[in-house]
Amino acid sequence: MTIIEKILSTGSGKAVKPNDRVWAGIDLAVIRDFGGPNVVIEYEKTFGERPVWDPSRVALTFDYQAPAKVSDVANNQRICREFAKKQGIQKLFDVNAGIGQHVLLEHGLIRPGSIVVGTDSHMNLLGAAGCFATGVGTTDMVATWYAGRLWFKVPETIKVNFKGKYSFPTTAKDLTLYFISRIGPDKPNYKSLEFYGDVINGFQLHDAITLASMITEINGKIGFVPTNHQISEFLKSRMGEASEPVLADADATYSESIEIDIHDLPPQVACPHAPGNVRPVSQVKGTHIDFAFVGSCTNGRYEDLSEAAAVLKAGGRVHPSVQLTIVPATIEVARKCLKAGHYETFLEAGAIVTNPGCSLCTTGHHGVLGKGDVLISTSNRNFLGKLGKGSQVYLASPATVAASAVKGEIADPGEFLR
Amino acid sequence: MKLKGRAWVTGDDIDTDQIYHGQYLPVTDPHEMAKHAMEYVPGMENFPREARSGDVVVAGKNFGTGSSREHAVLCLQYLGISCVVAKSFSRIFFRNAVNLGFPVIECPEISDTMKTGDIVEVHVDSGKIIDLTTGESFQGIPASGLEKEIAGSGGLIEYLKKNA
Repeated sequence: MTIIEKILSTGSGKAVKPNDRVWAGIDLAVIRDFGGPNVVIEYEKTFGERPVWDPSRVALTFDYQAPAKVSDVANNQRICREFAKKQGIQKLFDVNAGIGQHVLLEHGLIRPGSIVVGTDSHMNLLGAAGCFATGVGTTDMVATWYAGRLWFKVPETIKVNFKGKYSFPTTAKDLTLYFISRIGPDKPNYKSLEFYGDVINGFQLHDAITLASMITEINGKIGFVPTNHQISEFLKSRMGEASEPVLADADATYSESIEIDIHDLPPQVACPHAPGNVRPVSQVKGTHIDFAFVGSCTNGRYEDLSEAAAVLKAGGRVHPSVQLTIVPATIEVARKCLKAGHYETFLEAGAIVTNPGCSLCTTGHHGVLGKGDVLISTSNRNFLGKLGKGSQVYLASPATVAASAVKGEIADPGEFLR
Repeated sequence: MKLKGRAWVTGDDIDTDQIYHGQYLPVTDPHEMAKHAMEYVPGMENFPREARSGDVVVAGKNFGTGSSREHAVLCLQYLGISCVVAKSFSRIFFRNAVNLGFPVIECPEISDTMKTGDIVEVHVDSGKIIDLTTGESFQGIPASGLEKEIAGSGGLIEYLKKNA
């Protein structure tokens, strides 16, 4: 069996195969300040004061607009807080905590093999920790609170083997963008992916998160980085106990096996308006930019911000015509950056540094784009008009974004680090 | 179930921000939500004002890619759109539609010849789609198994109440 087949077999209590429809128990159901308020309203409309199936398996994470900047969102956050209080839900991570999935990982609430649903389409980045997590809508979450279980179609699995190695300033983000452009937006539709190869074996959790977070953009159900020693150690340190990794059987059946050569891969950039519209940085360098963003659930961890800091330290100040915004994924990431001296580097360089959260990604916080504005971002989406009508978004690694912020145009981070 | 209405034909990879933009996410009033349906789809800016109850959205491949927001289904439902026919759906949009009992039919061969304004007839149970304007017909893939049971119950909540 593949990883997803094993997890859904355990969750549903019977052996499963691709395309089966199964009902599986939910280990953790997470709402955020986006999507969550609708869940509370619908749940109470349908079930009134009825207790949720298991308050200890419900979590609330506020990262959409942290803190709220319009009263609609403030009201929505209030609806969620009051619901948690009424229902006796303890796991509430408020607007000071950071991006939900990352907060859950840091608090030891994510266990390999568990099934997690949330009102965020990037829940599946938890595939980096060997957990089957998926974004769901309001109705799915209301159903989970009521019954503690949900229906799933067991996906087929694509096996991806990366051949070769690269070195910094090429990073997991460059691998991810390259992979997305190679596989195309249709092939993984409703499929699970498993990643293998020397580079994957060497992945730290933040690398794995970057890769798993962008499976949403190619319509995959989830992407798994098989739990290696480093990831296992992180999870153990947070959960307080070791957990058994869920690994595919040697004779698992895959719908397809794909081999991708990443030997000496140079830094990559996704051009407007599709995450898969990817070119090597050498082909787009010199493109004018107005805004730069380092952060998001894809690239907001300590290691990501450290890579940006290294480039800024070498490159000096942010170009006077560019706004660079840096947003740590969580308060823990912020504290680590403070300790490492990165805040000084960021502020000296002229960057705007904000509190943790989803920030620019959610359209409307810490900077919206105007007509004609061009942004280079470490986030995961560059859809037409997502961050403002008439704007353009490029996607790249933290190192490439920092280098571009310094030059005022898309730049190769290697220029500053050689 | 047989549905009949005017077609609104659109292309491939229509994402959830085009169907229901992120800026309107705090909206909870159904009438307000309906006013922004498909607003960011190029060439369909008038859709929320001109779509009539019963109209059908006919899309290319990968319809509804992007966010898990159920608003993308709700805004069409509230506007009175009777169903979406697409060459293929993004999984989250498809799942949300099933959970809300909103008819969605996958039909890989459709939309190259159909034009906005054509009158179409959609047979939800058999998956057959007829363009009454041109006389052409297409065979789509009707819902089956658990998805059919859930959608047929009026959505996931009703299904669970009956099958608790």
